[in-house]
Amino acid sequence: MDTKLSHPPIPGAAPTMTRAALLERPASRRVLGALTVFAMLVLAWAAFLFAPEDAAQGPPQRIFYIHVPSAWIGFLGFGVVFVASLLFLVRRDLRYDAVARASAEIGLLFTTGVLITGPLWARPIWGVFWSWDPRLTSFLVLWLIYLSYLAMRQYVPDPMRRARFSAVLGIVGFIDVPVVYLSVRWWRALHPDQVVFVSGGPRMPGEMLAALMIGLAAFSLFYLYLMAVRLHVSRLRDLSEEDA
Amino acid sequence: MTTLGRALLIARKDLRLEFRTRDIVTSAGLFALLVVVTASFAFPTWGRGREGVAAGVLWMAFLFAGLLGIGRSFAIEKEDACMDGLLLSPAGSEAIFLGKLLATLAFTFVIELVTLPIFVVLLQLSPDGGTLVLILTALLGTLGLAAVGSLFAAMAVNTKTREVILPLLVLPVAVPLLIASVEATTAALGGHDLSSAQPWLLVMAAYDAVFLLVGMTTFRFVTEA
Repeated sequence: MDTKLSHPPIPGAAPTMTRAALLERPASRRVLGALTVFAMLVLAWAAFLFAPEDAAQGPPQRIFYIHVPSAWIGFLGFGVVFVASLLFLVRRDLRYDAVARASAEIGLLFTTGVLITGPLWARPIWGVFWSWDPRLTSFLVLWLIYLSYLAMRQYVPDPMRRARFSAVLGIVGFIDVPVVYLSVRWWRALHPDQVVFVSGGPRMPGEMLAALMIGLAAFSLFYLYLMAVRLHVSRLRDLSEEDA
Repeated sequence: MTTLGRALLIARKDLRLEFRTRDIVTSAGLFALLVVVTASFAFPTWGRGREGVAAGVLWMAFLFAGLLGIGRSFAIEKEDACMDGLLLSPAGSEAIFLGKLLATLAFTFVIELVTLPIFVVLLQLSPDGGTLVLILTALLGTLGLAAVGSLFAAMAVNTKTREVILPLLVLPVAVPLLIASVEATTAALGGHDLSSAQPWLLVMAAYDAVFLLVGMTTFRFVTEA
């Protein structure tokens, strides 16, 4: 029996698929997975062996190569939530809601990564785990918005209503993040920070920049792979609910 | 009739209802007073430099009292499908949003105006020249809270756990508002006049404008059946 599905297609697959085809892992996703693993291995090499040791910070600086890419995915994830939310409100297609949800879950994961790797670096470099620095604080608030977005979804059983509510929250949250950043920056500007920032120097050597770029690419692939898996899982869940 | 005119009609309906029942102002007002008094025991609200702590205590009280009132204001519309009636009326969702917002702004602002002098006396503060800034901060801060709160309360009443979900949705988004209102209040309680609190008042005005606009455009998505 052909089953019409209300979720985005798996990359490379037709939007309407047979049940049997849906249970299989598409080849395109396996390629994406392999590419992600390869890119991560290259990143490990670039971060630990290729990039030179920072003169001022020493080894802790290397966390930068996973910290910044995690932050990038945190922003990208919320950007995708925002766009998918807008598209849902215009088109009323639950596939956009599934994309927004998947992106929020992955975004939360990587934002959590930012909030763990940041303090780990800050302890040896700044001398404290946490500082109410604008970027740190904005990420904490972004993380909280992600959490409240995903928590709210738990409390609305009707799928269309849940999608509408989530879309509005996704849009409000996205607009709020730059406002948070600006207000925290003013807040800190008026209260000078006591922490002594040990800067690694204004310029970044080419090797460091290359390692960072590899990190951004590897994490972007990882994001795409996780999206594909997550969307596949949500379609399988829909299928099992239809059977039940 | 303009959108604002229709909004005022809805706000008047809420105010008449409130004037007859006195549900929200008494419960949320008592709540604000209790938070202020208990927080005075919980935090060091004495000695020099206590204006910062006092401002924080004050805004925690206003924030939660405001959320309580906004939640109640939308719970009323849920009973007997009043919201459906409003949506069927020719008012339009922008006017409903604005009307509910203006009414909750009025309730919360009244609560704040009653709480403020009690608070100032209990904590032996002397805002003097900062009184105007204090009132302006309360108004601008509450406007932003009412905008975000009204949008999210319309969602929260249609979830499984109405009461729990509203603060959960509002608090992360209200961070900039809270920062600005606490900073402006700290300056005002220290007796500073408009010039020192001005950047924060501008932040609040900008926040209010942004979320009034967002609320007006997205309110129809959270209320449609």
